[in-house]
Amino acid sequence: MTTENRVSVQLKGLRKVYGEAVALENFSLELAPGELVALLGPSGCGKTTALRILAGLDTDHQGQIIINGKDIAGVPANKRNMGMVFQAYSLFPTMSVIENVAYGLRVRKVGREKRRAKAQELLELVGLGSMGNRLAHQLSGGQQQRVALARALAIQPNVLLLDEPLSALDAQVRTQLRDEIKRIQVEVGTTTLFVTHDQEEAMAIADRVGVMRHGVLEQCAPPQEVYLNPTNVKVAKFVGAMNLLPAEILSTTELRVFGHKLALRPSDAAVPAGKTGMALIRPEQLSLKLGDGLDAASATVVSRTFLGPLTRISVRMVADASTLYVSMQSAQALQFIEGSSVNVEIHATSVLLDA
Amino acid sequence: MKRKLNYVNYIVLLAASAFFIFPLVAATEFSLRANGATTHNFSNFQWAIQQDGFKTNLGVSFRLAMLTAVLVLVLMVPTMVYLHLGGARWKRLIEFICLVPLVVPVISFALGVSTAFPVFLQSTVYELSFLYVIISMPYTYRALDVGLSSIPLVTLVEASRASGASMRQTLMFVIIPTIRSAVNGAIFLAVALSLGEFTLAVILHWDTFPTWIANISQGHILAAIALSVLALVGAWLLVLVFAILPKSFRTNKTQEAAA
Repeated sequence: MTTENRVSVQLKGLRKVYGEAVALENFSLELAPGELVALLGPSGCGKTTALRILAGLDTDHQGQIIINGKDIAGVPANKRNMGMVFQAYSLFPTMSVIENVAYGLRVRKVGREKRRAKAQELLELVGLGSMGNRLAHQLSGGQQQRVALARALAIQPNVLLLDEPLSALDAQVRTQLRDEIKRIQVEVGTTTLFVTHDQEEAMAIADRVGVMRHGVLEQCAPPQEVYLNPTNVKVAKFVGAMNLLPAEILSTTELRVFGHKLALRPSDAAVPAGKTGMALIRPEQLSLKLGDGLDAASATVVSRTFLGPLTRISVRMVADASTLYVSMQSAQALQFIEGSSVNVEIHATSVLLDA
Repeated sequence: MKRKLNYVNYIVLLAASAFFIFPLVAATEFSLRANGATTHNFSNFQWAIQQDGFKTNLGVSFRLAMLTAVLVLVLMVPTMVYLHLGGARWKRLIEFICLVPLVVPVISFALGVSTAFPVFLQSTVYELSFLYVIISMPYTYRALDVGLSSIPLVTLVEASRASGASMRQTLMFVIIPTIRSAVNGAIFLAVALSLGEFTLAVILHWDTFPTWIANISQGHILAAIALSVLALVGAWLLVLVFAILPKSFRTNKTQEAAA
């Protein structure tokens, strides 16, 4: 049931201020037809504001919202044809599940039989084909969000807007529904903006992840790109865990950490002027070797955290007493017991410098 | 809900019920008395119903009650929804204004009306409905405020708007059905008030059912009591109608859409 309703979205130079607080600053984002972009950031970073502006629920902003080449900034929310799923359960409590799904068609004056047939089709798409006559309060949280998704899709929206739809659900349901949203989105092909504060969620579901901080879109790229190749330190530190290692700056393109020469990755920040800095290295780019404790890279194992397939080991550097985290296969981690002397080895080829 | 009622609760409940029920029972008993209280029958009702003016005055009060109910629905409900949605800064002020009718004597209202109401309104008995909306505001405000506070209004409205509904559709299809009991409560209060209101009608020289009952009571007190009992039952029936009306309205709409 692919819709022909594939649209492109361009947000250009959005700016939104609440009183004194700037919620969005020079926010520009493009969504290709059928693309799923996740906006990722801590609460208060402006991601929800961006989504609500696109939905028309937040007005009074600067900048352009262009859908299929047309600026819709002045169009009220109910004329934008956006499908929206909210973080809070938002089903209409007096309507049955099928009436909820058919609601958008009802207000568009679609005939009863036709809209019920369409609603049934969508309920089956979200796996609730037999629940049509229930009321919202008779469904679990995950089921309610599925119905909300069906309701959002029933109107064949220009854009599907998902505002932290999984946040209120427990972990297992969350993962399951996340995968299902992705499946449905691919099947229906609707251009989708997904807002979340959960990195794993964003990485798992999105074609591109937009990392936001303080109202600014820092980077928008495919998930692996954001993780492996962050454009700046803010993104690097926000997405995944990061270690800070003392580095000697050799030139604008090279630095040395524990005697290894590493390439300095270009970022949107200038290279610090000094001779030394802190290099950003992920826990899985480090490994440990049992050692004698006499090297510059010597450390002592402080603790181990078992995470299933992986174990995270924290070590204290002998040289400056700083703490580093190292991730490795759990089987390998068995040899590094608390108190072991180890040498830290680096497996990165290029790194960012902390600003 | 699972809490058990203890003795004190029962006593309070009984006392409160007695306070309300005893006068009603007594009035009903009085209204059924005949032949100097030796027998009970419906003769007082029969006599009252046959009087000139029964139909006309009842009709006037009935229409006033209906108009009041419609005005509450059309004026108060959207206003309260607006206050709950975004008009938070007006909420205090409006809440205060809605309480004012409790402390302003009705006679001042009457004076205000005769100076300020548009003449075309003052020339018809239906001006009373507008006043009844005002007098009932302290009660209708409370009822609607409680109803709206108990639902996730903002989310429901945004979900409805995003689905493509206009504000009018959102009110009719989502908000009013969701707070139906609160709306019914507000309408019941306004209807009950307009069916029983006496002072304003007298001061503004209009004949309504209550003023007519007052007239009757000067000649035949038991018939007046019988009429009051009728009025009470009538008010309850009206409320029932209002409780059922929105539902049937909705079904009609749906059928209409299917046709």
